[in-house]
Amino acid sequence: MSEQALPAGVKTAGIRRHSGELRALAARWGIYVFLVLFIVVSGIVAPSFLHARNLSNLVIQLVPLALVALGQCLVIMARGLDLSVASVMATAAVVGTSFSGDNHAVLPIIVVAVLIGAATGLVNGLLVTKRQVSPFLATLASMIVLQGLRFAWTHGAPTGAMPPFFRALGTQSWHQVPLSLFVLVPIAAVVGIVVHRTILGRKIYIIGGNPVAAGLLGYPVAVITIGAYVASGCLAAIAGLILGGYAEIVDNSVGSGFELDSIVAAVIGGFALSGGRGTIPGALAGAAVLVLVSNIVLLVGLPVQFQIILKGLVIVLAAACYRTR
Amino acid sequence: MSISSPAKSPTFRPSPHVIRLGLVVLFIAVLIVIGSVLTDRFARSTNFLNIYEQSTDLALVSLGQTLTILTGGIDLSVGSQISLLSVLTSGLINGDGSLVLPVCAGVIALGVLIGVVNGLGVVFLRIHPLIVTLGMGAVLQGVALLYALGPAGSTPDGFDALAYSRVGGLSVSATITVLLYLLVAFLMRRTATGRAIYATGDEPAAAVLLGLPVRRVTVLVYALCGFFCALTAIYLVSRFGTGQPYAGTYYTLESVTPVVVGGTMLSGGRGGVIGTLLGAYLLSVLNNLLNFMHVSTQIQLIAQGLIIMVAVSAYVERKKVA
Repeated sequence: MSEQALPAGVKTAGIRRHSGELRALAARWGIYVFLVLFIVVSGIVAPSFLHARNLSNLVIQLVPLALVALGQCLVIMARGLDLSVASVMATAAVVGTSFSGDNHAVLPIIVVAVLIGAATGLVNGLLVTKRQVSPFLATLASMIVLQGLRFAWTHGAPTGAMPPFFRALGTQSWHQVPLSLFVLVPIAAVVGIVVHRTILGRKIYIIGGNPVAAGLLGYPVAVITIGAYVASGCLAAIAGLILGGYAEIVDNSVGSGFELDSIVAAVIGGFALSGGRGTIPGALAGAAVLVLVSNIVLLVGLPVQFQIILKGLVIVLAAACYRTR
Repeated sequence: MSISSPAKSPTFRPSPHVIRLGLVVLFIAVLIVIGSVLTDRFARSTNFLNIYEQSTDLALVSLGQTLTILTGGIDLSVGSQISLLSVLTSGLINGDGSLVLPVCAGVIALGVLIGVVNGLGVVFLRIHPLIVTLGMGAVLQGVALLYALGPAGSTPDGFDALAYSRVGGLSVSATITVLLYLLVAFLMRRTATGRAIYATGDEPAAAVLLGLPVRRVTVLVYALCGFFCALTAIYLVSRFGTGQPYAGTYYTLESVTPVVVGGTMLSGGRGGVIGTLLGAYLLSVLNNLLNFMHVSTQIQLIAQGLIIMVAVSAYVERKKVA
């Protein structure tokens, strides 16, 4: 629907008029300004917001969403969409409880969960690139199949416990710094550097912005697109393990809603579903906005239903702000 | 379904969409054969009449979804619309028979209004329909939960006749649904608006250049989608006796399945509503068959996911959309 935009960061000096430049500037930095304003206003409205304990809790809630959003960004950049992430998260969490439940099982759990995520991403990527299935349907179908397989494996009610390692990772902090942040930061740094500082990243933008041109330029469009889905699956699996550790009781709905929330985070962060636009730090800020909105609704004492209502308004507003001409 | 199919081609070649419709019918036939072989209770007229009746809700909501998808859009707010409208229907009627007509009229009007807002959002904000309707869906779900956290209100005696009454064994609501499908299919083929819906989805830029009322058509399809959501909500209230704020959740993504299985392309402009009706019957037959085989819900899910995968990878899409 919307027109293509140049990837953020591409120099367009002298081409656009001043209003266009202002607009581009707002699109580039607006999310961070909004985030800071939001935090300041929240701190004034509800002083308990800035308590170390609340902030630490917010980060714990943010990490799984941010991890999934990172993968979702890669897919959306390549003009795709991944609806299967929540299903991958729940499956990873179920894998987490399917072993002995002590810390010896940590490595096998991580390997199996990430492999499941990668396999799901591979199927998604192959359907999208080799069979030209629309990403919405390909990932919807794999979401449903994975859900069925998981139900069949658990007979509907997962039993067993997450190893203490994941419980600690999901809930505990080191000097008020949540442990899960030590997972997110390196992963986000790698993804950010690949996307914004390497030729590969540039190619993903171009594939999303104009797949035909990317093909004509000789880029391995299919390989890169499949890679984006595989990365998304792997990141969702890791997020599922952390969220499983946080939730403690693992059931089949771990991660439900994350498929849409991760898309919302990406859109707030400047990604367009038509591909080729958006930045990784922007998407992380988008995920933070989502978590903060939910938190502030509770802190100011609004009914919990306003969390969903505000989320809906924020996504439409954000998309409207980023709209290009 | 191309508009300019050559009338006098030397060898007759059915359009890809007709082939797809044939495939769906063939698949339904195969399922029926399998069912009759596996159990002698499957191929009985009472069972077929049940399948017919059970297809109503999904067929109704998918009819609206087909129209939005034909314009190259999608409506991901259908689930929340049905949830909100169903809980409003039973909550406002609250057992009072004299309120049935005004409340149902109001609910239908509200469904259309929600659809119009969706359509205006798509047209004037120029945001991807998926985002607009996702946001609308979240807002409506929140409003539904503000209205009631659980099942609300009740319906007067006789209201269940809407869902359960049969004439000559045929479910009335399912038959009305079929008639709605035929009406929409006829209008899509025979009216300028119908052709404009196809053109909008096929090549929006060209449709604008041709002077087609793209904006009006876009608002219209989302309004119609809201209309069919309202009908689905009223049907569900009649069937279950009450509405509840999560009544529609399942339909958000589920409504897309019959559409794509029926051969309508998510990229817009290709397909049609009759395919969707066949797709809804296919899913209804499949679920019925799996129930007869005492297959657990999980296997039903797997089967359904695989059918989507097979169907959409068999119908290769020419254009890609998000």
